[in-house]
Amino acid sequence: MKLLSTPARRSAAVLAGALLVSSLTACGGGTQAATAVNKDALTIAIDSDSASFGFDPLRVADAQRQFFEGLYENLMTLQPDGSVGPGLAKEFSYSTDNTVLTLTLREGVAFTDGSTLDAALVKANLDRRSDPALSAYSAIAKGGAQEITSVTVASPTKVAIKFAKAQPGFEKNLTGTMGMIVGKTAATKSASLATTPDGSGPYTLDTTGTVKGNKYVFTKNEKYTDAAKYPYRKVTFSVIQDPQARANALVSGQADVAMLTSPTVDFAKSKGLGVSQIGGTLHTMVSFDKTGKTSPAFAKEKVRQAFQYAINRQSLVDALHKGDIPAWNALPKDSAGYTEELNVRFAYDPEKAKSLLAEAGYANGFEFTIVGSAETQTDLQAVQKDLAAVGIKMNIKMASSTDEAFAAVATTPLGYASLGWDNPVGLMYGVVLNGFTNVQKATDEQLSAATGEAAAAKDDAAKKAALTKLNTRLVESGWMIPLYESLANQGFNTKKVQQVKFAGTNAYPLLSSYAPAN
Amino acid sequence: MDVTMAMFAAKRLLMALATVLVVAVLAFLLVHAMPGSPGAVSLGAGASQEAIDDVNQRLGWNDPLALQFFRWLGEAVQGNFGTSLIDGRSVSADLASRLPVTASLAAGATVLSAILGIGLGVTAAVRGGLLDRIIGGFVGLLVALPAFWIGIIFVYLFAVQSSVFPATGYVPFEVSPQDWALSLALPVITLAVGGAAFIARQTRASMLEALQQEHIRTLRATATPTWKILYVHALRYASLPIVAGIALQFIGLFGGSVIAEQLFAMPGLGQAVQSSVSTHDAPAVQGVVVIATVVVVAVNLLLELATKFLDPKLRAS
Repeated sequence: MKLLSTPARRSAAVLAGALLVSSLTACGGGTQAATAVNKDALTIAIDSDSASFGFDPLRVADAQRQFFEGLYENLMTLQPDGSVGPGLAKEFSYSTDNTVLTLTLREGVAFTDGSTLDAALVKANLDRRSDPALSAYSAIAKGGAQEITSVTVASPTKVAIKFAKAQPGFEKNLTGTMGMIVGKTAATKSASLATTPDGSGPYTLDTTGTVKGNKYVFTKNEKYTDAAKYPYRKVTFSVIQDPQARANALVSGQADVAMLTSPTVDFAKSKGLGVSQIGGTLHTMVSFDKTGKTSPAFAKEKVRQAFQYAINRQSLVDALHKGDIPAWNALPKDSAGYTEELNVRFAYDPEKAKSLLAEAGYANGFEFTIVGSAETQTDLQAVQKDLAAVGIKMNIKMASSTDEAFAAVATTPLGYASLGWDNPVGLMYGVVLNGFTNVQKATDEQLSAATGEAAAAKDDAAKKAALTKLNTRLVESGWMIPLYESLANQGFNTKKVQQVKFAGTNAYPLLSSYAPAN
Repeated sequence: MDVTMAMFAAKRLLMALATVLVVAVLAFLLVHAMPGSPGAVSLGAGASQEAIDDVNQRLGWNDPLALQFFRWLGEAVQGNFGTSLIDGRSVSADLASRLPVTASLAAGATVLSAILGIGLGVTAAVRGGLLDRIIGGFVGLLVALPAFWIGIIFVYLFAVQSSVFPATGYVPFEVSPQDWALSLALPVITLAVGGAAFIARQTRASMLEALQQEHIRTLRATATPTWKILYVHALRYASLPIVAGIALQFIGLFGGSVIAEQLFAMPGLGQAVQSSVSTHDAPAVQGVVVIATVVVVAVNLLLELATKFLDPKLRAS
């Protein structure tokens, strides 16, 4: 039955069509004007909110160094080749026993609060190390692996840092967020950093353009002494958590540079974008327990070695981390200590794993629990299957809170961590030998010796020898059970930005390394 | 407005306030039931128990719950939701900057879904036959498609492939009205698709019922113009469930914008919820919950008043 006459139907159809057309045009139809190449401004799409804790650089890790490099200067600086160069400290020297580091400071450095750099300000900064919220200072706080016992003002431009024990090579740590210096106002009243940066860096925060958690706009600091190193007048950090959305933003022009995940690299390349890649982050299982306190089996080196043979790393990467690199080395491929020998020696061999377990007295296997998170769950499930094949039952308990995840270092025998090895000595002293992955204070003479040799190495050959020893021992001892090495990928618009270069093996390029395309 | 209507409005307003209060109490209790404490959250994992206790004491975390709640409520009614435990910023200021983003998304998507839904629903009901079946099938397809999948497809087609719209980001209206509209286009369309399908079904059913009414037949017999029969008399008769559907859409979109905000990197309330929950930032969580509740309750209140106004039978009761 037709309810309406022909004119009525026509009018209804016309209305519906008009509604459709008007709704579509209301959504901003038409073509977006082609974005002109703007060499004055750079937009970097990043994967998380670098300032989620505010603008105190001491509250964040080195993954946020690039962001905070815009606002603050370091006592020592990371150089484009990955070496250590002068920063706010133009010179440094160690006492003969390596327990005192003396820094000679630059003059004429001004902070946004109007204060200027001197030895008293550096002392005021480092004296904040007892504040537990300042995670970048955790290693130098009381009881930390690189504990600073006192900071002394020797003269207005000289400051002496005394350590609890010898710390050769400590200056490398000062290139990270630990070495960033805040102005006098912030050093005295750190709460001000919640909303207002107080640095002497190449940029200042444009509060009008900044939207917390979404985008941070930096404009050039005209008082910065080495302004020519930073070619862009304005830098915007755009927080885009979804990996595909970040890649899309790069393709469609909302970002000039973007941190890409390996699965989105091919997509970016297919759209004509440039991609720079570097390894360096090892996703590894870490034996928290080497003494048997939480699981007797983990006290046996052969048991820990059995894990190395039991895990099919190639299969894990093929299934879950396409584009990344399976890892049998504890140190990354670009490290001086990397050796192909480990790839062969610890190649996937479940039978060998079973025989090692039998030699250790666990022929029938054993059972333990690992605490997982949403990020690690699928990797752990893949490992779980491999371990089950050699008789090891690994139960995965998902962390119900951050507290539980942190407590796992003391309550469970094995964990999962993503480690950057840009500073192997710092990582060994700060995390592996004396830090959170060894709360039961296990010792390994070979590891300690190799770390000491690496710290004291005077030339590349000595460093390579020491790091190779260190790497080999980390794997054969089973302190580290590496799974895969992920690549850090920087996608960039080739029409706007030159090829992105990494600083040595650091996964986060220097902010100064971005330059307009010719 | 007559006295009965005023009484009705007053009663509903009181109930709305009671609802907000109940939700505020629940949010407060849930935040207190979360593991950890403000001291542990603000000082981080490396903090000593002594330092944590000190912060908790300063914030009054150990005071009786009732005292804490009324202290918080006293500030909240003045628009002060406290400061973030994570970065010390004002929660109220942060929410105030985010509310327009989510409101723009939800309002834009509601308007678009209403226009598309009513258009499709009326056409299906009026034309009938093959077109009705085609629209029915199309609407069924739209209902089945997840919003995030639609968003991904739209981004691929209109941002990655053709650069018609930006793939991510939000531009405030005061910065550039044109860029504001462009930045909202894809998220609004993404959110509107499912809602349009729902409203189209609702509209079709209501219009079919309306067109069967005796007064419509009478109007037709008296040679009243067809457009007037359809869009004045029949659509008004059918409007009650449609208006209810649209209001529910707004409520759903307001609460569910987190997907679009994540996908399009927009600084709205959804992003704030995600961030504050993951960092256990109690004042921020409470603030977002209360603001979202106020919006939902206000829309519900308006819906009830509109329903009462539109329906003569309800108005007389």
